[in-house]
Amino acid sequence: MNDIQIDPRGPRFSAFFQLAFSVSALLVGANVGGVVIMAVLLALFIPGAIIGPQATVQGWIFRTAVRPRLAPPAETESFRPPRFAQQMGLTFSTLAVASGLLGWDPGFFLFTGFVTFASFLNSVFDLCLGCEIYLLFKRVTTRATV
Amino acid sequence: MLTRVLIVAAILAVATVAALWWKRRQGMVREVERAGALSSTTLGAQRGYHATFVQFSTPMCAKCPPTAALLGRIAAEDPRVAHIEIDAAERLDLARELEIMRTPTILVLDGDGVVVSRISGAPSEQQAREALAGVPRTGTDYSI
Repeated sequence: MNDIQIDPRGPRFSAFFQLAFSVSALLVGANVGGVVIMAVLLALFIPGAIIGPQATVQGWIFRTAVRPRLAPPAETESFRPPRFAQQMGLTFSTLAVASGLLGWDPGFFLFTGFVTFASFLNSVFDLCLGCEIYLLFKRVTTRATV
Repeated sequence: MLTRVLIVAAILAVATVAALWWKRRQGMVREVERAGALSSTTLGAQRGYHATFVQFSTPMCAKCPPTAALLGRIAAEDPRVAHIEIDAAERLDLARELEIMRTPTILVLDGDGVVVSRISGAPSEQQAREALAGVPRTGTDYSI
């Protein structure tokens, strides 16, 4: 499969968006407002999880509004690690919305909290949790051949 | 409302502590004692005569390609030093045996293929050079 190189600052910028959404949802709480905010965030994750971070609304804002004002990136990265991270974000926001709809409040806070945790690490500390977890995930889910 | 503000504050505080701890460990070089050596056959590539960087990567790892470029450049300076990159997701047998928990992890081997040190996370150029300098010399600098 063809690799696409992207500006690593794009996913990091997008993570600020995701952080703002998930923090707002936590502050609004497990009610209609919070679930709606997480549902919008869920929708924002979908293109990134299927195609890649270059296809998201957040990525489009970065490309059109932010990137023209920045110097060219010192290095580019593959779209795959951030795409995996978007898939994790999609999973957790889906779980959060589902918990909210089913009226399970602790679940809503737990899963929204995960999204907040990961987006915060990605945006503020440039630490991609999904990328770090990938190998552990693979080790657990693939059976030993020996 | 206060509870929810405290929840947000707690998540951000825990994440900050975790991130600082993780950054501090990044590229840390640790000595390891492991009996037995890794052969070129096991690694699937030719080991270096004096030393080898064995880098474990995955396709999902953002810091792996720049690390590969750095180690490849350092290895290219000395014909007796090799750099081997292994996809840990494909060689899960090796990843399990060598307890590779994250990528990139780099094992520094001496000329006999014995693991001398282990770098977790992307090293800086200085950290990589120090790890290489820490490899004890085995054999001779010449060959007949």
